[in-house]
Amino acid sequence: MTGEANHRFIPIRCILPPHILRSIAEKGRPEQRTKALQTLATDGTFRALRAGMPTKGQAVRRRFGALAAEGEKQRTIFDAHSTQTLPGDVVRIEGSQPTGDLAVNEAYDGLGITYDLFWEVYDRNSIDDEGMALNATVHFGQEYDNAFWNGERMVFGDGDGDLFNRFTIAQDVIAHELTHGVTADEVDLTYFFQPGAMNESISDVFGSLAKQRVLDQTAAKADWLIGAGLFTVNVKGVALRSMKAPGTAYDDPVLGKDPQPAHMKDFVRTYEDNGGVHINSGIPNRAFYLSAIELGGYAWEKAGRIWYDTLRDSRLRPNSGFRRFGRLTVSNAGRLYGVGSAEQQAIRNGWDQVGIVIP
Amino acid sequence: MRIEFKMEGGLAHFPGLARPVCIDSEQLSQEELVELENLVEKVRFFELPSRSAPPTKGAADYYTYTVTVKAGGRRHTVRLTDPMEDANLQRLITVLRTRAKALHSP
Repeated sequence: MTGEANHRFIPIRCILPPHILRSIAEKGRPEQRTKALQTLATDGTFRALRAGMPTKGQAVRRRFGALAAEGEKQRTIFDAHSTQTLPGDVVRIEGSQPTGDLAVNEAYDGLGITYDLFWEVYDRNSIDDEGMALNATVHFGQEYDNAFWNGERMVFGDGDGDLFNRFTIAQDVIAHELTHGVTADEVDLTYFFQPGAMNESISDVFGSLAKQRVLDQTAAKADWLIGAGLFTVNVKGVALRSMKAPGTAYDDPVLGKDPQPAHMKDFVRTYEDNGGVHINSGIPNRAFYLSAIELGGYAWEKAGRIWYDTLRDSRLRPNSGFRRFGRLTVSNAGRLYGVGSAEQQAIRNGWDQVGIVIP
Repeated sequence: MRIEFKMEGGLAHFPGLARPVCIDSEQLSQEELVELENLVEKVRFFELPSRSAPPTKGAADYYTYTVTVKAGGRRHTVRLTDPMEDANLQRLITVLRTRAKALHSP
């Protein structure tokens, strides 16, 4: 076999600088656009691969991190064209103009507001804090009623149109999925029982904060709903979950009744749903809500900072449950705002009101 | 043929949608039955491992499906998680999900 046969020569990748490729991606003929988008996305994928290599050592992590420009988003949206084949075709890249596809644009914007929350408020550069590329696939499957994080990318179905709208419709859902990536990078809370429910709650917290921030809402003004707008008019319900009042988001003949408890006395023991990860997350969700309300102002500033520092706390382990997470939030509140401060007491009160007493 | 189907997980836990359903060949039209039988054969259902590969580390909000097929004196149960690579398996689950949703509707 000749060397030539082993190489696929792709001239567009070799010659053109990124700004020309971007221009082609926006203004070229359809086949030119496709090639330019694929080329730009491949470049981003390689950068993501470099940044995302499984390196545990902090020094090595920093070396790779130096390759990424801080504060620079790198979003790529893919279209699965109603198949379940990932990643799909590249349809929008960082800096390109909106397309005529609502789901594509919603995914792009949703990733942007989530990146901005983590970068501008918590000084975190993307999922891995190393500028990792943000990849999302839309139009996954046929009438697919879900959004998920597959360990590498966010995936969004279109919904069946009967019970569910497209899953990109809710900004907090997009932020929820991206936050799963952040959690996996920091502590990888085991996706089962209480650690799994804590994992889910953390995604709801930062999902809601991303939405509140883009809407410029204080804790008192926010609706504290997760996934508002996802249900069609056929469903008796307002959202997937309520952080303010767990267990009240829907009560529908087909979906059933929102099963979330709001207090430890109602904790659900089950093996379903990975041991109730989307059920018992209502308890820490409400603890966050109560703390944020007592603190007042914008929830992402104090309560969010305390939760974020706890997520990064080396004392948090993959098997940590509600009590350990709660204890660490109180500890971090003391470190940030002073032991015995009003802030620390607000956090303690939040947990106390859901039945988790932290001395 | 008789199929038991249960779906769990996803972005939220919906008790109504998580109820197991039983799909009996007698309830299906000839066309639906032929499609299901073909898919069961194409995916070599009775040879599938009882559990699909575990989700990638850190993955979340994925659906998990438990499918039991009884046919021709055989019975086999498999537990699958999204995303699946096999197109026929994807189609089988899509058909079962649609059927289950119809059965969940009052």
